[in-house]
This record gives sequence, C-alpha cells and structure tokens, in this order.
Amino acid sequence: MSKEKLAIIGIGEVPTEINPERSQWDIIYDTCIEATRDAGIDKKDIEGVISANPMAQPAITSELAFGKLPEELGLNNCKDTAVCNAGGASSTNSLKLAEQWIQTGSAKIVLISHTTVHSTIPREDAINFFATAGMDLQWEYPFGTTYNGLFGMLTQRYMYETGTTMEELASVVVALRKWGAMDPNSIFYKKEVPSIEQILSSPMVSTPLHRRECNLLADGGAAMIVTSAELAKEITKTPVYKLGDAVTYESASILMRHDFFLRDTFGYMAKKAMSDAGITTDDIDIFEFYGAYPVLQCVFLEAVGICKPGEAGKFITEGHTSPGGKCPCATIGDAIGRGHTGSGVGMAYYVETARQLMGKAGERQVPNCNYVLYNTSGGSGMNVIVTIFGRELQ
Amino acid sequence: MSTEYKKPLPATQPWSEEFWKAAKLHKLVIQTCKKCNTKIFYPRKFCPNCWSSDLGWSEATGKARVYTFTITMDMVEEKFKEDLPYALAIVELEEGIRMMTRIVDCKPEDVYIGMDVQVVFEDITDDYTLPFFKPATNG
Repeated sequence: MSKEKLAIIGIGEVPTEINPERSQWDIIYDTCIEATRDAGIDKKDIEGVISANPMAQPAITSELAFGKLPEELGLNNCKDTAVCNAGGASSTNSLKLAEQWIQTGSAKIVLISHTTVHSTIPREDAINFFATAGMDLQWEYPFGTTYNGLFGMLTQRYMYETGTTMEELASVVVALRKWGAMDPNSIFYKKEVPSIEQILSSPMVSTPLHRRECNLLADGGAAMIVTSAELAKEITKTPVYKLGDAVTYESASILMRHDFFLRDTFGYMAKKAMSDAGITTDDIDIFEFYGAYPVLQCVFLEAVGICKPGEAGKFITEGHTSPGGKCPCATIGDAIGRGHTGSGVGMAYYVETARQLMGKAGERQVPNCNYVLYNTSGGSGMNVIVTIFGRELQ
Repeated sequence: MSTEYKKPLPATQPWSEEFWKAAKLHKLVIQTCKKCNTKIFYPRKFCPNCWSSDLGWSEATGKARVYTFTITMDMVEEKFKEDLPYALAIVELEEGIRMMTRIVDCKPEDVYIGMDVQVVFEDITDDYTLPFFKPATNG
C-alpha cells in the first residue's frame, strides 16, 4: 500500500480518422514526440517503452514486440520494451507494467504508445478479426456471432429486464456524439449530432442495434509519459496521479457470465478503486466510461449508484451525461462518438483523463475537475478494471 | 449434405469430440464430473471445479428457454451472408447450462426472451452437426 504512486506527465495524440495514407509508424513518431515534449523531458530520459497491442495488425505487432520502437526513435537510454495484449484492456495493463518497472527501479520514466491503422486491413479480414476476437471458436463462432451480435443480445436482455426503450438507448448515442463533436481528435469533430429519430431510422444491424449504435472502425494513436509521483512533481506543474485501482477477471465467453451485464462486478470494482483512492462516488467529477456500445453507459451509471437499475436511460435522455450536464460521462464520446481504434480507445481515454485533470481539454473541459473514474475491459468483458486519477496526491 | 460448407466448423479439442459425435447422432450430451457431479459446459479435459479427470457424458432433455437473442441482419462475414437474417440466441438448458445457438423453424421476429424451445439438429457436413433450437411444440 505504501508503494510509490504513478503519475502521467505528458500526452500526445493524433486525430482519429480513416486515413490509409498515414502509416502506423507515422502515428508512433508524432504521438511519442508530442507526449515527450508535453512532459518537458528529453528523449534520453525515457527508460522504458511499452506498446498497447495494435489489434489485427500482425506485422506492426511483431515489430513492436521485437523492440523496434526505441531504436526507431533513438531512445538510447531505454532499458526494456514490451507489448501488452489484453484486448481492450491492453492500455491498462501497459500502465500496470510501467508501474511495476517504476516501482522496482527498472525505469524511472516510461513511454506508453498505441497505434492503429484499420483502414489498410482488407475489409473481410477486419470483419473476420472482430467476429472471432473474444469469441469462442468452438461454441460461439460457428453459429455466426459478431461483436454487434453479442452486444445486440446484451442490449436485448437489458431492455427486457429494465424496460429501457430504444429511444433511451439512442439518446446515449446522441450524448456521446455531442462530446465527439467537440473533440478535435474525434472522427465526428464538428459533425452534426444525429437525432434520436435519425439513429433509429438507420439500418438495423443486429437487433436492437441500429447502424448508428454500432462502431465505426477508424485509425489513430496516442502516447503518454508516466513516472513516479515523486519525480512527476519535479518535472511538471500538472502531474496526473493514479490514486487507486481494482481489477477482476470474469470470463472469456459471455456464456459463462452469470453477472450478465457485469453491473454488480463493475459496482464492486468501482467501490474498491475509490476506497483505494480514499474517495467516494460524490467526489468523482467525470466518469470516463469505456463501454463501446450504448447499453454499457447505462449499466455503468447504475453500477456506480448514480442511477437505480433501469433508470440510466432516462437520466441520459435528460442530458445529465452530455456536455454541460451535472454528471459528465465519456468526454471523448466513447468509441461510438469518436471512431473505434481497437485497443486505442483505452489509450485515448487515458490521454483524455490526463487532459481533463491537467486542465487542457479545451471546449470539453469540465470545470474544477479533480477526480476521474475510468474503466477498461478486454474482449466481450473478460475483465473489469476501474482506475481513479486525481490532481493531488491524497 | 453439402460438401462445400464454407462457414466455420467448430474448432474441436480431443475432449470435446464426444459432444460432436453425439450431435451427429442427433443427441445433445453434457459432460459431467463423476467425482463432484458438476455439469460441465463447455467440455474440458479436467473438471473446471475439482480438476478430476474422471468425466462422463449424460444426455440432455433438449428443452431450453431463450435467455436472450438478436436478429442478425448485416455486417457479417461474406460466408454468413446467405443466412441473413438469422436469430442468434443464448438459450438456457433445463440442466442449467447456457449455450450459443440459433433459433430456427420460425420467423426471426417471432423469437422472444423466455420462449420455450427444443433442440433440433442441423447436419452441416458429413462430420459435423450443429445443435440449433426451434419453438417447443408443447410445454
């Protein structure tokens, strides 16, 4: 418990877009250099490099796993490098590995990077990847499962149990797209926010999910510089401290999941993480919920006790989670409101968490932001990880 | 039976072969631990509860209830396109096990949560049969 805490001191990001001309390495260069400059350090200060695994991109994954990043960027004082792959939780596990390197003295300052270019993957390969990632190849895939199908089933059951309506679920997309429209790094930046009617009249993909309730695969990347809390204070005036976390494994397959929506598990992990940080739900200024599909924004609000089970849809429809609302949630618009960059959404959320706590979120800045709760999960919900960040050490 | 089946076949393991052999004979079987009586799904090499290797099989009634479902209408791999629209579902067997399946022999839009269904076997190749479910004919 008395271990040295971790701090994020620099961030870099490129806009999410569909741009086959911009290579994975191009993104790595721009984000890593921006994060290093943002931290106000020199490249010789970087002693560890961790990449959140780029999904469905085996060539770059191999290059990163076999150590090309420190060499490419001339990081001559790098002591070690690795790739972390835990699906959508890859970024969180990258941060945990960085924490371990820092606490054991292997590296004082660590660079964490993510890059993804979906648009150069042949369409059929991309569909195949997301039809099989996190799906059981014996007991699920032969029946024609997809991610949209899986979340269609989850959403259907949630509606059945809670009475939440299609309109309320569509309002989640409206709220997320409002955030996305204000985010220069979103693919939907300055794009018109669709109405509930427009969302519900988009073609059905997998009932009850319409096309505009499903994710748009996009390209992007981000990087961050992390160090110990002690060193962070010397380097920057705006360190962002990791104050607490909690994690538990659930199951690879949704078939094994008795807590079907992960609501109880999420609630328990959130409580544990907040207790670890010495705060309560009332202290949280932003809930950076990473759900990927609209239904999970509802589930998470209920899990942390902001809404009673079944009442989150109404709460979101009333605008409370939207920009200017009393309970800002998912200020990058989640994957729906930004474009899905695989394991990159997790990284984008870390960067946004830091940005909000550093007070540099521009139009999206939540006033007096002191504490942020952020969650990740891998696959179809194989694990639940909740992390608390803050501006001050407790 | 088609020899040109292009959709994915179950990626079996030696310890799950009995399940697929039984399915070919149009029987739905469940792996059971002889030591701790756990009903195991999906089949394992060792019981996931007690790690015993003394495992056997028992035939299921084939009766189940729809836990949840989705009518898949778009954005599937090319090989699944000929099936669109299809009702993908998670059913809960009487024996308390949840399986991924499809609901067939009815219009996809007639499927609902809580619907009583029974197993029906779809021979997809000479070697493989998938357990699908159809509306139960009587309670």
